[in-house]
Amino acid sequence: MKRSFRLGTMFAAGLLLAPGHSFSQELSSPQVVRTLDRLEGAAPAIDIALLMEEAAASAGKGVAALPDWQKLSKLSQLIVEIDFENDSIAIEPKSYRTVGMIADALHHPNLRRYKFLVVGHTSSTGDAKHNLNLSQKRANAITEALSTTFAVAPDRLFAIGVGEEWPVDPANPQAADNRRVQLVNLGLVK
Amino acid sequence: MSTRTRLVIGGVLVAFLAMTGAARADTISFADAVSTLATDCGTDIKKFCKGLNLGNGRIQNCLEEHAGKVSPTCTATLSSVSASIKQRLAAQSSFTAICRHDVAQFCSGVKGEGNVLSCLNKAKRVKEGQCGQAITDAGWR
Repeated sequence: MKRSFRLGTMFAAGLLLAPGHSFSQELSSPQVVRTLDRLEGAAPAIDIALLMEEAAASAGKGVAALPDWQKLSKLSQLIVEIDFENDSIAIEPKSYRTVGMIADALHHPNLRRYKFLVVGHTSSTGDAKHNLNLSQKRANAITEALSTTFAVAPDRLFAIGVGEEWPVDPANPQAADNRRVQLVNLGLVK
Repeated sequence: MSTRTRLVIGGVLVAFLAMTGAARADTISFADAVSTLATDCGTDIKKFCKGLNLGNGRIQNCLEEHAGKVSPTCTATLSSVSASIKQRLAAQSSFTAICRHDVAQFCSGVKGEGNVLSCLNKAKRVKEGQCGQAITDAGWR
């Protein structure tokens, strides 16, 4: 995996069909709030430990066909681009704004009662296992920044890396569009 | 009055004005706060803090450790950024207490914090009062 989780344009059409899905270029914080606030009544429960296990077992084989992963598509979410230093967990300064914008949204009264899952994705450049590990560490880095720098309660944040196993552009797994961060509303904090 | 006394009084006055000014000044969003950090400190961060992340004060600590080499603009920005973030957080956490009275008066029976907020935002008399200012400072208008 190279430098970033990146947002592309090619995948938007497909994912916009998901409920409460938004395309994040030129995104503003009120838009983020509106997008993530649409919680469907029958939102499925997500078992994050199980997702992690399945991703680890599927390195190089993909998770898109797994029912547990498909459940995520049914939840309100948005895709953002957050760039990192090459092969590192350091968020590039140019992406600080995006992290800050997510923090603005998560502190809004409309979203304050919800918990969120940060899913890190890579392209298929590089070793699948390495991509899986790096994407987990990067997803952790994002939730850490949110919970420390921006004081979002840590019990509202979950992180998972899925590496290259869930490309948004399966026909071109190496495409930069596949590098991205998914922010998913997991429902009420218990 | 000695020069020294005058200086002290002057200093206190400046500090007082700075404080009241800060209390009245509009707060800024987290996104704007860290955008300033990226703009003014991005080069220094990439030069001195390679591999370090925003979380847990690492970037701030790193820039402070390299205080001698970091650009003056960045040094100035660094303290204002953490102040901005704290101000916004404080404004957000004081919302419930400051707006309690207005909630009871204008939005009683409204369930859910988000719904209460949009109810308050619709009430004209809230906007002009303390609660309205609290909502503005929290960035929830």
